[in-house]
Amino acid sequence: MSGAEDLSNKSVELKEDKQFDVEAEDNLEDDYFDPTRYLFYRDRKEWADLEPVPQDDGPNPVVKIAYSEKFSDVFDYFRALLKNDERSDRAFALTAEAIELNAANYTVWHYRRVLLQALTKDLREEMRYITAIIEEQPKNYQVWHHRRMVVEWLKDPSEELEFIADILSQDAKNYHAWQHRQWVIQEYKLWDSELEFVETLLEEDVRNNSAWNQRHFVISHTTGFSEPALVEREIQYCLTQIKKAPHNESAWNYLKGMLQDQGLSSVPGLLERVLRLKETHCSPYLLAFLFDCYEDALENSSQEENKSDEELKETLEKALEICHLLAHEKDTIRKEYWLFLGRSLKNKQGADEPAPGQQERS
Amino acid sequence: MAEEESQFEEFEQIDFLRDRHVRFFQRTLQVLPERYASLETTRLTIIFFALSGLDVLDALDVIDRKTMIEWIYSLQVLPTEDEANLSRCGFRGSSHIGIPYSTKGPGVLHPYDSGHVAMTYTGLCSLVILGDDLSRVDKQACLAGLRALQLEDGSFYAVPEGSENDIRFIYCAASICYMLDDWSGMDMQKAIEYITGSLSYDNGFGQGAGRESHGGWTYCAIASLCLMGRLEEALSQRELDRIRRWCIMRQQSGFHGRPNKPVDTCYSFWVGATLELLDVFQYTNFDKNRSFILSTQDRLVGGFAKWPDSHPDPLHAYLGLCGLSLIGEPSLRKVHPALNITQRAFEHVQQLQQTWRESAGSCGRQH
Repeated sequence: MSGAEDLSNKSVELKEDKQFDVEAEDNLEDDYFDPTRYLFYRDRKEWADLEPVPQDDGPNPVVKIAYSEKFSDVFDYFRALLKNDERSDRAFALTAEAIELNAANYTVWHYRRVLLQALTKDLREEMRYITAIIEEQPKNYQVWHHRRMVVEWLKDPSEELEFIADILSQDAKNYHAWQHRQWVIQEYKLWDSELEFVETLLEEDVRNNSAWNQRHFVISHTTGFSEPALVEREIQYCLTQIKKAPHNESAWNYLKGMLQDQGLSSVPGLLERVLRLKETHCSPYLLAFLFDCYEDALENSSQEENKSDEELKETLEKALEICHLLAHEKDTIRKEYWLFLGRSLKNKQGADEPAPGQQERS
Repeated sequence: MAEEESQFEEFEQIDFLRDRHVRFFQRTLQVLPERYASLETTRLTIIFFALSGLDVLDALDVIDRKTMIEWIYSLQVLPTEDEANLSRCGFRGSSHIGIPYSTKGPGVLHPYDSGHVAMTYTGLCSLVILGDDLSRVDKQACLAGLRALQLEDGSFYAVPEGSENDIRFIYCAASICYMLDDWSGMDMQKAIEYITGSLSYDNGFGQGAGRESHGGWTYCAIASLCLMGRLEEALSQRELDRIRRWCIMRQQSGFHGRPNKPVDTCYSFWVGATLELLDVFQYTNFDKNRSFILSTQDRLVGGFAKWPDSHPDPLHAYLGLCGLSLIGEPSLRKVHPALNITQRAFEHVQQLQQTWRESAGSCGRQH
């Protein structure tokens, strides 16, 4: 870590061997002057006007963190600046040191923002600074919030999509990155290339749930999901991805999520397509989807006059078969749940016993 | 993997090491090395994990309650003489701002001192766990501080000077209002709107509208609605069934937080407690859940880690215990799934509230 030197005005004559090339030193000791030696703030002349403020945990501190001298020194002076609400370049410089020691301290970041504005600092330089910090610590809330503030002040999102893409290339599911991305896109209406970006990520990893979520985000805010041609395109996209990687909850969640409100059984031909897939690309998610189709058909049967009792009975049978298959063979970890669903469905259709009631806990 | 191990090793793996965990939390409460610096501003949440963890272990006798209570009260941001700072009241995470130690008012004027919603929440929890009667909490000031944090969209900031805003802080706010038995700390309707707006197409909850569904935020959503007493008002039966499905699909062995992500001990609580609040936790696989949690147990230093063969930390140590408590681990106290404290501590809260209501009633004052 680079140190700061406190060069005094006095130069002291050394009693050293004149063969050595020694520079003027800043204290009275018989020492070599070492420009790389770190100097505590308490020893720096230009900070002598400030009284450091230690942390005070009282007589019996709890969860006390054992800070080094250097750490305490930096923060003792941070606390001093804070108390006086000092607005100066030296304060601004110190915040960077404090951040390096603890980038999760939200007070330091807030104070730095106060100084950025009070001293009218170069915000483009701040963007470079925060970019570097986020690259080092991409899972910290404070750094992303800080970046958002700077982008808002600059009213310039032009670097964001590329920057976030870079962070996602290191961790494609970083929740902070995706959140920031959604904010930028929504705030500055940067929808145009996002679907393309999503498809690239899904090509790299079809199981990236964040990318599937982003797909839904983009479409729901642009074209929407009401147009039948678009819905068909999305259904095809899902089924294609499922054929590539059948055991992928994200794809099935997307398919179901897109269609559940209109009713899974209302989509013509969907059930048949899924049943065909069952032969070659089965998974617990496919079977659960079938169950949901059958359940939806049963629920909406009251509206449709053309469903015979026989048909309904058959649908119920198929649904219960799926529960049984899932419980005993295909998704045994959730055995009790699938059996419960089967019982509940039977009860609902039977209309004798009510389904198990739910109590609110308070 | 398990089939290849000897029977003895299997037994070792499923052996719950109570005493190690007690010592883990005891050490946490003492001194942590400098590499834990990033926890400075959230030290009060670490105290909460340790205290509630010891409570779940029925081992609170190992700590000195009085000194701990005093230290927690020193973190309260109290109103100044002229009460100009009411919107900044609550509890701090630690002494990092440099306010001189004090457990009494009036508050000290400082340009940057303010409470943090998660610290107010965990501060109150920690006090009730320690058996304190909250008589030194300036409740009205806390609630004023809370009101100052809510945005138009119903979500909350963490601190009055601004921060990110999302569903986590709604949960903190709801817990605060619940414990103080006073919902004037928030606009409940707006908070509910933000929560329901965070329901994803896949039937889990994200941190806000449009965001990826996640076990932690789903817990915040459902637990908040339960604390508010609004679960079935805010969500239809169909929605609740769909949410149940999303949650129960999180079990892989233990639980993960998002589809296609690795399992992590803490989700045994976040998702497990949500399932419990939705009355379907009984349909999960207890054995596999238990085996996973115990595979993340650190047999040497105690505590639990997010994954096997990883370093334990206070959060995972606490939530691992809560996960075990949910499945009925014999030596552990029951945990209240919405408030995330033991049932015992919860009963203390109820008694306190009873006392407050009685004294308000007897004076003829409106509560």
